This record gives sequence, C-alpha cells and structure tokens, in this order.
Amino acid sequence: MDTTAFCDNLHPLELTVLEAFGAHSAGAGLTTEQLAEATKLESSQLSMAIEWLLAKQLLAVTSETVTSVVSLTAVGKTYVERSSPLDRILSAAREASSTGKRLTIADLQTKEGLEPSDVSRAVGRLKKEGALLVVQGGCLESTGRPSPSAEAMRALLRDLHEAPRPMESFPEVQRALIHDYAVKRGSAREPFRIEERTTRSYTLSQAGAAAVNALAGQAKTEEVAQLSPDLLKDGGWRTKRFRKYTISLRPPRIAAGKKHPYREFLDAVKLKLVSMGFQEMRGSLVETEFWNMDALFMPQFHPARDIHDVYFVKEPACASAVAEPFFSRVAATHEHGGTTGSTGWGYRFDPERAKRLVLRSQGTAVSARTLALSPSVPGKYFSIARCFRYDQVDATHATDFFQVEGIVLGEDINFRTLLGLLNLFAREVAQAKEVKFVPAYFPFTEPSVELHVRHPRLGWMELGGAGLFRPEVTQPLGVTVPVIAWGLGLDRMAMVALGVHDIRELFTDNLDLIRTTRGAF
Amino acid sequence: MPTISIFKSDLESLLGSPAEPRTVSIDELQEWLALVKGEMKDYHADTGEVRVELQDSNRPDLWCCEGMARQIRIKLGGTAKPYPFLSKQPGRLPSLLVAPGLDRVRPYVAACAATGYRVTEQGLAQLIQTQEKLADIFGHKRKTVSIGIYRRQKIRFPVTYELANPDDVRFTPLGMETPMTLSEMLMVHPKGLEYGSILAGQSRLPLLRDADHRPLSFPPIINSREIGEVLVGDDELFVEVTGTDAAMVMLTLNIFAANLADRGAAIQPIAVRYPYETPFGKRVVTPRDIGRPRVIQIETIERALGQELGTTVVKEALEAYGYHVSTGKKSVTVTLPPYRQDLMHAMDVVEDVAMSLGYGAFSPEMPSQFTVGGLSRIEQLSDRARELMVGLGFQEIISNILGSPDHYRDAMRLEGTAWGTMVEVRNVMSSSFSCLRQWMIPSLLRVEAASARSFYPHRLFEAGEVAIVDSSHEVGSRTETVLGAVIAHAAAHFSEIHSCLDACLYYLGKTYGLEPIPHPSFLDGRVGTIVVSGTPIGLIGEIHPEVLERWQIAMPVVAFEVNLSQIEQLM
Repeated sequence: MDTTAFCDNLHPLELTVLEAFGAHSAGAGLTTEQLAEATKLESSQLSMAIEWLLAKQLLAVTSETVTSVVSLTAVGKTYVERSSPLDRILSAAREASSTGKRLTIADLQTKEGLEPSDVSRAVGRLKKEGALLVVQGGCLESTGRPSPSAEAMRALLRDLHEAPRPMESFPEVQRALIHDYAVKRGSAREPFRIEERTTRSYTLSQAGAAAVNALAGQAKTEEVAQLSPDLLKDGGWRTKRFRKYTISLRPPRIAAGKKHPYREFLDAVKLKLVSMGFQEMRGSLVETEFWNMDALFMPQFHPARDIHDVYFVKEPACASAVAEPFFSRVAATHEHGGTTGSTGWGYRFDPERAKRLVLRSQGTAVSARTLALSPSVPGKYFSIARCFRYDQVDATHATDFFQVEGIVLGEDINFRTLLGLLNLFAREVAQAKEVKFVPAYFPFTEPSVELHVRHPRLGWMELGGAGLFRPEVTQPLGVTVPVIAWGLGLDRMAMVALGVHDIRELFTDNLDLIRTTRGAF
Repeated sequence: MPTISIFKSDLESLLGSPAEPRTVSIDELQEWLALVKGEMKDYHADTGEVRVELQDSNRPDLWCCEGMARQIRIKLGGTAKPYPFLSKQPGRLPSLLVAPGLDRVRPYVAACAATGYRVTEQGLAQLIQTQEKLADIFGHKRKTVSIGIYRRQKIRFPVTYELANPDDVRFTPLGMETPMTLSEMLMVHPKGLEYGSILAGQSRLPLLRDADHRPLSFPPIINSREIGEVLVGDDELFVEVTGTDAAMVMLTLNIFAANLADRGAAIQPIAVRYPYETPFGKRVVTPRDIGRPRVIQIETIERALGQELGTTVVKEALEAYGYHVSTGKKSVTVTLPPYRQDLMHAMDVVEDVAMSLGYGAFSPEMPSQFTVGGLSRIEQLSDRARELMVGLGFQEIISNILGSPDHYRDAMRLEGTAWGTMVEVRNVMSSSFSCLRQWMIPSLLRVEAASARSFYPHRLFEAGEVAIVDSSHEVGSRTETVLGAVIAHAAAHFSEIHSCLDACLYYLGKTYGLEPIPHPSFLDGRVGTIVVSGTPIGLIGEIHPEVLERWQIAMPVVAFEVNLSQIEQLM
C-alpha cells in the first residue's frame, strides 16, 4: 500500500488521533480518556475518528473493561436540593415530638408533598431501623435514635453531587443502599442510576504504525478545507494541503429554474409549425356563439350546441352586436344558402342566439375570425388555443385543454393537397411513416378526413382531423379560395411524452412531479 | 354522434338474404365502416355483437344495421335498386285523417304499413334502437320528430290524428297496467315526465286513434299498450312519424320504410289528408320521394378533389354510393335516394365521390405555395419573459384557466372589489369550474398550497391567458397574456421578488417605477403597482397572511404579476 497516498486521504480528525499515538511511547495502548486528554477533541468527534481508524484497520482494540458507574438521576438531584424522603420524614417526626404535635402519614403527604409510595417505603425502613415508632391512631413518633440508611443516603448524595463515581469506590453499606434506590425496570423514580461503562484501550496496527511514521516524516504542512481569496492573494495555497473529498457521495439537491414539461412539448409543436411556414393566430377565451359556431355553419339546432355541451357566460350574457357584413351573410347562408350555392339548413336563424357569449369550445373559432380578417392567400395559420367543454372531469376529459388547430388557404388547395399536408404532419409532428386516411364528419368541412398514423412508440393512433372548409363557411367571411381546416389531437402524445396517465396531471399542482418530470419528446 | 349496437349475423343476412347470408370477417367489416363513417368501438366474438359509432349527424339513415348494410350492399353491387313503394300504387290507399288545430301543436304526420316480414329478435332490437336514436338525436329528444310502431292487424282504417281533451281520453300506455287519462300520463308515466315539456302550454293534446275510436298513441309521449306493443313474430306492422318539420318527418318515415323493405316487407303507403296546407300539399302519400335532381359540373368535383375523373367515373362512383345519376356532357344530374336529405352543396357530392372511390384512390400531394411562418408578437414577448424567468431560477407552471371564485377572488380577499370581477359561467356544473381567472397569482398559490412537502425555496412562474371584464369590448372581456411569479420560503422577502422583477423588466427593456397602493391580497405597506410610462401594468408585494391562511399555506410568499399584453402595447 502506498502509505503517502493513504495519508493524504485521512481526515484532519484522524490525523489528530494518529499524532497522539505518535507522541506516546511506541506500542503502548491508549484508553479513550487518555486520547481525549491528548487530542482535546470533543467526545463525539473523537469517537467518530476512532471508528474511522478502526474501519481502516489503522487502530486495533487491545482491551475492553466494563465498570459500573453510579450517577444521580433527576430525582436524585431534587434529593440534593430538598433532602431525601428519609431525612424529611425523620426531621418532621423530631419536630412533632419537640412541639408535642401529632404527625400522621396523611400529614406527610399533604404538608411535605411526598408521594404515598415514597412515604410508606421510608417509614417502613425507619421503623425497621428503630428510628421511628408508629403509635396508636397511626401517629408517628421519633425515638431519637439515628437511622444508618438516612446517614448513608446523605453521604451518597454529597459524593455523587459533583460527578458520577465507580461502584467499587463505595463501601458495602452504601453499595447496598444504591442497589435499593437505583432505577430499575418498573421503578423509574429513583435517585440513583447504575450504568455499565466500557473503557477501551487502543493500539496502533502495523499499518497504523507505518502511517504514523510516514506522517512524522512528512513536512508538517497545514491542511485546509477550502481555497479562499486570501490564500490566492498571498500565494499561501503553495504551502497548504487540500483535503481530498469523497466525491462518490450524492450532492445536495437544488431547484432548477426550468420550463414546464407540457409547455416544452407545446413549444416543440409550435416550433414545428412555424418551421413549416405557419403563422400564429390568437383569439379570445370568450366568444360569441356566432364565431364559435354559426360562422362554422353549425346549425343553431345542432346537438353539440346544447346547454350541456358549452359553457355560457353569466354577465353579460350577450354581445351587443356582431360585425357586419358577416352577420347577415352567415344568417342568410344558414337559412337558405345565401350566395354560396347551398340550400342552407332551412330554418329561421335566431340573431339573438348568435350574440350569446360562450367560453370558446373549439379552436376553429380562432380560424373563423382569421378568415374574416382578409388572411393572406396563399396562407398558413395555426393556433394553440385554450378551449372549454362542459364535460364531467375524469382521467380522459379535462374541462379546459389546448387545441392545436389551423387553416391553409390557396388556389392549389384540394383534397389531394389536404392529404399531402396531413402526411407532412404525420412525419413532422408524430415521426410516423405510415398513415391512413379515414372518412370523417365535421359540421364545417366537406370532404372530411381523419388522420391515423403509426406512431413509433404508440402504434396506430388518431393524430387529427381535417377537411376542406365548406363554401358555406368561407364565402360569407369573404374568402373565395379553397381552405383546409385541420386540427391535431396531441394530448395522448403529450401524456406519453410526460409519462402521465391522467389528462388532469398535465395541469398538476404537484410541484415535486413538475420538478422531477423530464419529458421525452 | 350515436353509438349503436348491431349483430354480425343480422348484418350478414341483410348483406345477402336471410336464406343466404353473405359472411363477413371482422377485418372486412372494419374496412367497410369507412363507407358509413363508422368507428368500431368493440366486438364481442362470442355473441357477435358489434358496437359502432356513426359520425355523420346528417346521415340518420346510417344509424342502424339496415342502413349500414344498405350502403355496403350498394357499393358491392355497384348500383341501388329503386324501392317499389315510391311508385304510384294501384287501388285505394288506407288513409290517415288530420284534424284541424294540429298545425299549431304538432303539424306533420307520415305513416305506412309493412306486411310479410316476420319480426325476428334482432330485427325487433334494431327497430327499437332506430326508433330511439332517430327520435332522440335526429328528432331533438322527440321535439321535432317522434315515431310510433304498432301491430297493423289491430287497426281499422282510417286512422285519425286529432286533438283531444287531456282528461277525456283514457288508455293503458306501454309500461303500465291500468288505463289512465292523457293528463295522468303526463304527470305519472316516466315518458310523460321526460317529454311532457314538449307539449307545455297546450290545452288539447295530440292523439292517434283508429276508425273504432281506439287510441293508438299519445304522440310524442307514449303508445297504447294494446295496439302499440310489437312482439317477435308479428308480421303486420304500422309505422307513423309525427313532428314539427315536414321534411324531417318524411325522411324519418322513408328510412323506416326502406329498412323494413330491406328486411323483406311489402310497404303499403298511406294517404294523409290535412285540413291545412303543408310543404307537400294537403293530400300527401307517404312514404314519398323527396329527392330533387341537381346538376353538378364535373369540373367542380375534379377541382375539389385535385384529380381528373371524367363523367363515367363520377357516375359510377355515385351510383355505387346510392345516387340516381344521369350524365350530361360536362356535368352529372344527381338525385339522392329517398332515405337521404343531406345534399346542401355540391361539396357534399364531392365527398361522396371520394368515399365511394375510397380515400386510398387519391395520392397525397404537398401544397407547393410558399408561406412565411412566425409567432404573434405577444407569443414572442411571452417566450422572452419565460426564458428570463427560467434564468432567474423559477419553475414554470401551467394551470387551468377555468376555476372557482373561491380561489380567484374570495381566498385573495377580493370580494366586493374591482379586482374581484370575473367572467362567470351561467350553466355551472361544479363551482370548481365556474369562472375564468382574472389574474395569475392564485394559479401559483394553488401549486404552493399543494406542495408544502416539496423542498424549499419555491420559485414558480406562469405566463398565460386571463380574462379581464371590460364592457367596452365586443365580448364583454379582454383576453390578455400575463406573467405571474411567486417565491416561497421561510425568509421570503419583498426585496427578493423585487430583484427578480427588476431583472425581468430590465431585459424586457422597460423602465418602471413602483407606487404604493392598498391591495387586500397583500400586506399593507408592502405592495405596489408597477408603472411603466405612466400606465399601471402589474402588482408586486408580500402576500397577506390571511390569504395564506385561507389557502392553508404555512410559508411566507412574495409575488409579482405583470400584464404582458399591456407591455406589448407600449412597445
């Protein structure tokens, strides 16, 4: 073993103990007390250093002696202050005799505040020793004779008052009394405690002796724990040794500043869409039924417009107006098709209903607004919009959630370019090479298609829905080119990426979960 | 849209015939479901039961085994055979007489009889399921359309559709043992309780009875038990549909007639006589062909689909989808079959062409025109602010926006203050989700309150949308993006959060000042508004201990919130 390298790894406490051995005559053992004396270490630090050195087999235990040590308990300390029950009863009896008063057991309890068990035990002992008489009526009388127990107790309290002492240091009479009045199982309220103390004596092992020699040979360089500006300034670091650390230990935790994993996922989607040439749209959390549904050619009697599907706003319940010319055009389209070439739904459009305010229930509302704002042609738009559904909340239904939606406008837009765009989404967003296009139904698109993809980890899944906006949607809003409407269902992908099984956990309030979730995108 | 239950064996006998069913594998069925926009929910191999969700809310004809089988059968055969019951019938038709006054209650009725099909168990289950789904979803919970099915042999024609006094007519309804009056049915019968509101305010109620004055039913509530309980083995049926929309009533009857005809019944039309005008006239033979021919340019279809097809391909595709088609030089004239009424625009025909040919027949093509992508200004600002907060050691949070007034207002000590005004929901399902957040700090306290066991310090932020009530705005509120941040630990202090705000606004390029204000959510004298160019854009302070107590947070919390939308306006 390379002793020098070994010594470098020693802790300062260990070095102190080894130095104490070095200063002592070779081969002799040192007890714990002697080491404490020599090193001036606190007992906890000393025992730590001894344990380490024993573990490294630099020290060995030569002898182990067990001694009984007597000390005062908390009860014993009160005896020192207020005398023992033996003495207090004896002096109360003597006082009663001299004044001619009657002293009963009950008096001792009430006036002296002694415990009944202490009184009966002390009275018994004093009676047995002839120092006390119990006369008619249960009265106690002093005989004037001394009590050996009381005297021995007094001596013990005086002797132990300063520090614990070994049992052997006491004469036989006192040892017997100590045993009688020591804390045992079942009698905790006693003045004395007897403890076994182990005194060990240590000696250097061969390796330990080598280490002491090596240390003695080393130039006495001071060891430091931490490099400081001062050491750098005065060059003092050149003469110092830096203690080596145990670097395999786990570090303390710190809270990193970081993005929310679900937001990171959405950021990745956002970046993808922007890189594919999509411009972001923003909308309002509160919308009129007009923009949320009417403009999307959902008839006012449509089942999904029921009070049980959408959240309505309490106050104000309605918008004052909806912008023209869209309002009249959409109303006409619903009623008879307007100028779109459609038959329309053939019902009376209720303008008041169109003004009712709802919490946005679909991201398509944002697209409808964009269509009415003279969008670019060709143009690609997306939104990641918070939407609200009147649903019972459970593991797969959240009451508010993000919808990733958008539109593509252009002269070259048709069913085949729609499929081409969906192919691109499958590849870019889900890293899927295999896709299936399945006929679907949305109130605002015709033809409509669902995009199913084979996700590299999730297998076949529905990634989104899309279609060509019906002319009944685009024309009243002033758009004359074909428009793709698309939406991506990313919650399942997000949940898998974040390792959660409950959609509500995407918005969790559990900070530990948020701090520890890594997210794999 | 509706999820229905069908049996594979029933579907197979409808695809072939009861004598010679055409067997299908479940994979084959899965593929064919594309033709009807159906999604298989589950399949029990032992019973042969298949549950299918039909997506198209405009195709109620597909919400049954007969309709699905029909669409597949036509595709396999390439063309649909016309239904004979739509052509003029020889001889006198049984009639149904409508009494005056119904035009103000439930104006329209259509009916037919069906004989020669002995009702099977699966057939009866489909009949009942179709009746329920059509009345419930297509008929808006029986308001617009409701359907009754009866044993034909118990009825003597002419049947009368009339108005009756609620306390005069008595019969035993389905599901009951004893006769009761119409008003009793409304008060006692489960269907009366469920659908009675449709007739609210009517002093006289609709009633169908036969020539012997025996009640058939009390539409749209309940059938008579005696005449209106169809059982397995019956081979003479009478079907009637009543409602408030003439076209929908007719379409519904057409679907039932087609379904029963597909199962082998001979359909006998009924002549309905009205005392008032209807969109179909005063004397209407039902079922009735309601399809109207429409001319569609081939170019319209080809341009929408992005593929040259030609007249023949289009004609064949549409015929294989059930249309009647005649061709012109550059156009087709198409008529929908009697069980459909969903042709509003040429684009509807375009989709049917694509579905008939199969979406697989169209090769995807990338849109080629160049567009510039980008984020909105507010999103760019929000992203910068988020980066800064992360750099300042804050953990990002995302929260629900829909929450409770208790969290957003009451726990923040804002009851009765302008800060406590929020967009609230009228149709509350749960008070936990009944208003939109008007500021961000409560969302962060939500996390703080739940995370006392997560090691400290806590530095949290969220950038997101809030709704601020504003009567001058079109929708009564403004949606704005705000940034909120909190710090919580044993020695959390105003100056600590102030330093963070200071750094954040410095890098966002905003010079700001703090002006002390009283705000109930914060400790008095340790709260201020953040002012940029004379405009207050946010708040900073030490959260009031009473607020912390209400949230049951046992740690000091300091916070700031800035309105990024306002900052963006100032840029």
